[in-house]
Amino acid sequence: MAVMTETGVAGAAPLPAMKRRSPYPGWFFLPAAIIYGILFLLPTVASLYFSLTRWNLFSSTFIGFDNFAQFLREPFLIKGLINTVIYALVTSGLKVVLGLLLAVLLTSQIRARGYLRSVVFFPVLVSTVGVGITFTVLMHPTQGMINEGLALLGIKGPGWLVDPNLALFSVALVDVWKGVGLATVIYIAGIVAIPKDYYEAARIDGATSFQNFLYITLPLCRPATVTVIILSFIGGLRTFDLIWAMTRGGPGFASDTVASVIYKQYQAGFYGLSTAGNVVLFILIAVLVVPLTMLLNRREGHE
Amino acid sequence: MAGLELKSLHKSYGEVEVIKGVDLSVTHGEFVVFVGPSGCGKSTLLRMIAGLEDITGGELWIADKLCNAVEPRDRGIAMVFQNYALYPHMTVYDNVGFGLKLAKTPKDVRDQKIREAAKILQMEHLLDRKPSQLSGGQRQRVAIGRAIVRQPEVFLFDEPLSNLDAALRVDMRMELAKLHQDLGATMVYVTHDQVEAMTLADKIVVLNGGVVQQVGAPIELYQRPANLFVAGFIGSPKMNFISVTVESVAADTVTVAGKDLATMAIPADGTGIKPGDTVTLGIRPHDLLNQAGTIVGEVVLVERLGNETNISLKLPSGASWLVVLDGDHDMRSGQGVELTFDPARAIIFGADGAARHKR
Amino acid sequence: MSYLRRYWLSVVAILVSGVVFLLPFAFIVLTAFKDQKQSALRDFSWPDGNYLWSNIVEVVTTRNWMLLTAFINSTILTVASVTLLVIFAAMVGFVLQRRKTRFNGLIEFLILAGLMIPPAVVPTIWLLQGIGLFGKLHGMVLIEVAYGLPFSIILYRAFIATIPRELDEAAIIDGARPFDVFFRVILPLLWPVTVTNIVVQSVAVFNDFTNPLYYLPGNANATVQLTLYNFQSQFQTSYNLLFTNIALITIPPLLVFLFFNRQIVAGMTAGAVKG
Repeated sequence: MAVMTETGVAGAAPLPAMKRRSPYPGWFFLPAAIIYGILFLLPTVASLYFSLTRWNLFSSTFIGFDNFAQFLREPFLIKGLINTVIYALVTSGLKVVLGLLLAVLLTSQIRARGYLRSVVFFPVLVSTVGVGITFTVLMHPTQGMINEGLALLGIKGPGWLVDPNLALFSVALVDVWKGVGLATVIYIAGIVAIPKDYYEAARIDGATSFQNFLYITLPLCRPATVTVIILSFIGGLRTFDLIWAMTRGGPGFASDTVASVIYKQYQAGFYGLSTAGNVVLFILIAVLVVPLTMLLNRREGHE
Repeated sequence: MAGLELKSLHKSYGEVEVIKGVDLSVTHGEFVVFVGPSGCGKSTLLRMIAGLEDITGGELWIADKLCNAVEPRDRGIAMVFQNYALYPHMTVYDNVGFGLKLAKTPKDVRDQKIREAAKILQMEHLLDRKPSQLSGGQRQRVAIGRAIVRQPEVFLFDEPLSNLDAALRVDMRMELAKLHQDLGATMVYVTHDQVEAMTLADKIVVLNGGVVQQVGAPIELYQRPANLFVAGFIGSPKMNFISVTVESVAADTVTVAGKDLATMAIPADGTGIKPGDTVTLGIRPHDLLNQAGTIVGEVVLVERLGNETNISLKLPSGASWLVVLDGDHDMRSGQGVELTFDPARAIIFGADGAARHKR
Repeated sequence: MSYLRRYWLSVVAILVSGVVFLLPFAFIVLTAFKDQKQSALRDFSWPDGNYLWSNIVEVVTTRNWMLLTAFINSTILTVASVTLLVIFAAMVGFVLQRRKTRFNGLIEFLILAGLMIPPAVVPTIWLLQGIGLFGKLHGMVLIEVAYGLPFSIILYRAFIATIPRELDEAAIIDGARPFDVFFRVILPLLWPVTVTNIVVQSVAVFNDFTNPLYYLPGNANATVQLTLYNFQSQFQTSYNLLFTNIALITIPPLLVFLFFNRQIVAGMTAGAVKG
């Protein structure tokens, strides 16, 4: 190892502050940063400007807040805004309740647990458009299987997707059908992580299984609840594909959401208005989700 | 041929200075141990030598080459980590040979070196296994093997035995000593275990708060500690200390007395000490004798081990001492006891904490 | 008593889950076996004969083999974007987890923003047109990478935190350059989370409908989801063909589900909980 001595280096003057290169090179960020920066961040920032214009991709005229004013004036646009919030509330609420119940059931000493977990989870992986088309057929008011089934039980089924008061909720139900599996597996992960000692201690104290659920499972799987709420709430606010595959926002504007409005305005060539829709959705998420996250996480800190 | 030379090394993280100017010279083939309490900077210093931490100031010379800005791979060092750091996805053979592969060593040379290292460490039968199939001791061997094939100028060990159980630790300690003899390479070893330091080192470096407290041979540190910190850190059980007042100072003795100690003349260097000064007197638990003498105390706790007896003692001032007496002594807590010691075994520390050994 | 109750609970659970979750799939499969006349009834009846093969042939060959083209496009899109995603996200996750700088806070904010903010579609189209990637398959690949990065980075970063830093240092001492440390030591160790990433992102990209709808207009580059959407109007009366199509495009996720069920559940829960 005598080779180590290099005359040039040995005779060099002191070099106090000279730094060697970090073993964790900054250029590792570069490919991701370029793609993400150009294709996601740049359009997002640009949308803030274009939402203030009348725009046809080639030229844009600055019109101030006219697009946003229109959003709050036109009844069908306001309808989309309200629908979006309702849809997000309904889907995330149902996913939390059903997901938790299913997870409790599927972590209990029940038979065919593996089969049940698989069956509940599989729809998460299936094409949303495929699910939408299938349920559109199943929910047909007269020839759909759901209403035929209900008729066998002597119930007259509603016009799921053709009744303007019901269409949005019907789509939300299908959303829950497809998405509850994800909520369930998140809850299962949360419940499985609860140490068994708590249940054993509670059994010695004479707790019933309902008390177990109320005083142990529910509070201790709170992180899972936070995750499910936030995840499904954001998903609900952004939802487009299922609504588009099932109702195209119809009948009329009955099941329009902000995301479907964005697409419709884009198709109609109102690019400025469409982009304003994007900004509205962005603000909606920021205004609803950020405080929600803070609220949920703060309470967690108190416990 | 110099092994390793540290000149006024400094290391800061932002405002916080963790290594405050370390000078050290290690000759080729020496076994140097860095000891100190956790957070004293010993691992940081080792990692600076390895090139895993940047050097803020000062110079690092390895084998007559200034290495401040040299990449770790070009420093002529190899390192054994506390948790072994074996690559889990490679066999033992590939773990040992990874560095050679990166250096594009021809395959036959590589194979020969790997087998040679395996032979030295008696692990030829393990070469095809994955790290997960090895015991702690075997993993340690592989980690050392990985260092050996690099044929480094300096071996660096970062608390390599701390994850082994007590019995295995003693075995590996002896093997390391033998390895050092066989290879004759410079080794720098970090530990918080003073037994490892005392048994392995040619030279111990005691660090505290990023400052070198003392450098010396193990027995020198035990017998002539430079200051209160080293005196308290080296030796087990810990040295006992009491505050005493100086009564008179002569050429080679300082006469002291205190609440816990009747007047006694201690051989020491009295330069700069005046009668009336408060100094600290240190005496090791093993050096106390159960005879009528200068110290009186009350027994708090007794541990009778047969060959020796450990006594916790409460002194009149309230200070508590530990006494180790040879042989068995039937004592009870609450009982008074009188002790004495050979004044030549005691050490006087000045108000600045520095030891005043007799010159 | 408790045993009996558990038994009945199991029976009820199996029956209800069968009706709610399996019946729709059974309906899809049965309809795919029927001829046009029987499928038009849209009922849950046993097929009169086996028309599956002729249905498949018709669906695949219709509109000049469009479904086949779509399958090829979707495969290219999925494979290319997931490959890039895995490598780029692992690189970012690695450096982000290992190296603490004052930019980390900003980067983490951007990652969270990417998970929450819906993409601004029209400005993106405008931008894609500007750089000549609009309606192009490789442009779509880059879009999927951009949208998938935040989730993949979070998965990788969490996993890399469990790999001891000593391993990087051992490699550095062994003479590895940063490139070697990552590609020869770290990346192989990331295999479990890479599998999770591949599976989760493949399903997401393959099933993506919204983004191709915006960024991939025209028939030449259609993906399977777009094709299905287009067939919906074309096959208004041929339910047998529509559901044959749905059955065909459900096969890839089904295969993924059968082979990687565990990884996909692990990935989705881990990503969700840590995100």
